[in-house]
Amino acid sequence: MESTSIFSERVQKIQPSATLAVDARARELKARGVDLISFGAGEPDFDTPDNIKQAAIEAIHQGFTKYADVSGTQDLKEAILAKFQRDYGISYQPQEIIVSCGAKHSLYNIFQVLLDKGDEVLLPAPYWSSYADMILLTGARVKVIRTKAKEGFRLHGDGLKKAIGTRTKMLILNSPSNPTGACLPKEDLQEIGKIVQEKGIWVVTDDIYEKLIYDRFEWRSIASVAPEIRDHCLVVNGVSKAYAMTGWRIGFTAGPAEVIGQMSKLQSQSTSNPNSIAMKAAVEALNGPQESVEKMRQEFEKRRNFVVDRLSAIPHIQCFRPQGAFYVFPDVSKWYGREYQGKKIENSSSFAEFLIDAVQVAVVPGVAFGEDHSIRLSYAASMENIQKGLTRLHDALLALR
Amino acid sequence: MHRFPRIERLPPYVFATINELKHKARQAGEDIIDLGMGNPDLPTPPHIVEKMIEVSSNPKNHRYSVSRGIVRLREAICKWYQRRYDIDLDLDTEAIVTIGAKEGIAHLLLATLERGDVVLVPTPTYPIHSYASIIAGADVHLVPFTEGQDFFESLVVATERILPRPKMVVLSFPHNPTTQTVDLEFFKKVIDFAKRYNLLVVHDFAYADIVFDGYQAPSFLQVPGAKEVGVELFSLSKSYNMPGWRLGFVVGNREMIYALARIKSYFDYGIFQPLQIAGILALNGPQECVSEIVETYRVRRDVLIQGLARAGWVVPSPKATMFVWAKIPEKFQPMGSIEFTKFLLQSAKVAVSPGIGFGEAGNLYVRFALVENEHRIRQATRGIREALDLVQPQARRRAREQQA
Repeated sequence: MESTSIFSERVQKIQPSATLAVDARARELKARGVDLISFGAGEPDFDTPDNIKQAAIEAIHQGFTKYADVSGTQDLKEAILAKFQRDYGISYQPQEIIVSCGAKHSLYNIFQVLLDKGDEVLLPAPYWSSYADMILLTGARVKVIRTKAKEGFRLHGDGLKKAIGTRTKMLILNSPSNPTGACLPKEDLQEIGKIVQEKGIWVVTDDIYEKLIYDRFEWRSIASVAPEIRDHCLVVNGVSKAYAMTGWRIGFTAGPAEVIGQMSKLQSQSTSNPNSIAMKAAVEALNGPQESVEKMRQEFEKRRNFVVDRLSAIPHIQCFRPQGAFYVFPDVSKWYGREYQGKKIENSSSFAEFLIDAVQVAVVPGVAFGEDHSIRLSYAASMENIQKGLTRLHDALLALR
Repeated sequence: MHRFPRIERLPPYVFATINELKHKARQAGEDIIDLGMGNPDLPTPPHIVEKMIEVSSNPKNHRYSVSRGIVRLREAICKWYQRRYDIDLDLDTEAIVTIGAKEGIAHLLLATLERGDVVLVPTPTYPIHSYASIIAGADVHLVPFTEGQDFFESLVVATERILPRPKMVVLSFPHNPTTQTVDLEFFKKVIDFAKRYNLLVVHDFAYADIVFDGYQAPSFLQVPGAKEVGVELFSLSKSYNMPGWRLGFVVGNREMIYALARIKSYFDYGIFQPLQIAGILALNGPQECVSEIVETYRVRRDVLIQGLARAGWVVPSPKATMFVWAKIPEKFQPMGSIEFTKFLLQSAKVAVSPGIGFGEAGNLYVRFALVENEHRIRQATRGIREALDLVQPQARRRAREQQA
């Protein structure tokens, strides 16, 4: 039973990113000239606003191209402190903030400094698969808590309490959520806050989709509504989704100074500072004009309305109407059991394959998010493509009947 | 101050408080009927004892033995499996002798688990089934094993919710303390499931022989392919009334047995050889003693069940094991099992095991062990009847209270 691989036990525990794999396949098909419509994107299809680009260009001209502070430049930290004050109503100290190479890197560092073999992390499903894999890399394990579409993917206090064991160290929250777009209401967050406070569990809240909120939903971070958990709560956010800056790789964490200090130590021995130019751009993103955010949000809301209505018009598809992010996560399992060209559609992976083969539409199978009954569609695509793609999807399913 | 992390994870023994009260009561001269611990009260059959006496004077038997057990004892257990279940086992690679089943499971898990591993264990459970994992540094995920729930389904759900997947599942049927039994179909499902998720299975078969009313307990190894995923533990304690002798076996999967043999080769020199030789006789010799033991438990079971029923406490009659798992009468349920056990001790002069000692899920139950003779059990049920006061008419009770 001894492993014979040359690779570490650690790396063998994890899977390549499923969402990036769909992206790669879509890109490859497109390069071969296939007229493919992709709902796989995990990033806004908008351009980074000009004022932000300009700030980066200036940083280059000014020679701000050398090593910088490991945990982030002072001006960026100040911009982040102001952001938390403005958007969360929380005053952090500079030593409670660290900038990393994207929010994913923030999460990676948090897990590395807090988790060990034997620790257990509670992860509400459906979940972004990278949480699970990054946690597994530390040797800790994941306990999944199921949430249901018909309940708005809410995390109930009872379910949370039941899942807490003697080795539970951390709870992950992601609202708005990737892949469901669901947002947790304030009351739920307060209840969760009480439970984790009582049990002494760390909360990591990934608020990266914070700015993409619809229906005037009153979004709150657990950090704001449950201030009592401050000394064991880590807030992760970044500029990627709000300012269409996914490629710039700037994310940040706010939390207790001791944890931030350990993350900074880890960062000093692994990546050093995040890209200096991108940090200057991020300062502009946070401090500069915010109109582009609202414009993008409005456009996404229009698309969400269209996508949810269009999907709901397709027989046997149940689509929850999310109040955030740019994903929908419809349940397509009623189509399982049908056949396409002799091949049975039996799960979300074969459903996704069928859509590519039959009508050249790329979606991400729900199994990548721990929920095999659904698929994820991102509406970070042009309205024209969304319309075309959903028509194709509808036609493909009708042809199955 | 140094820390000892391995023992820090072991909670105080729940049964200790009850034992203490029992001792105090006895010291005060009270006659306590002890149906608490599952410690068989009857003597080991004389032919087995005589054999041990005979061979123990031979100096050859005074030297270190072998940690995995002498060949002829391993051969005897293999034959026992062959005779009873038509299962072929290789005595060198698929069978090992252990110092009772408890040592077997404790060291087996120490040899096969490490920190971060997860083991699925039903709750309620015999404590060592979960604490063997804890001692080994692994973690236990308790799977509810309560009425009205499909246990196999719960096992699958639990497995699918944990990443990385659990490494092992520890089962025991007939089950202590709940007395639940399974059929061969259940083991077939478990083995398919174990193969699908690459799980190891440990099945404690301590009550293999203690079955009633025509029920036959299946061996886990009867399912083809079982040896690929797991092992079974058997012990002479219950079948042959040999609890103090500490003779048990682990049979089945070669890798797991190899791991256990390896770790045992560092820990022990085997059991005192005369005990092993007597064990050979137990397995190979006349088996009437086993049926006599079973019959004794059956009679006691019936006396207890009927006596409890007369006390207004209706408990289903178990098909197997030397226990009765009794749901606490509704009126007393708010007390919880520890308080109710104390109450029985003080008011009925009967010691039982509080269900919570087998896990939270057992808190509405107490366990009776059938380890006192039928007269004593009858006396116990009379005491319980008076203490519970469930069958007395209200009026009479009131009158008595007024008198008092």
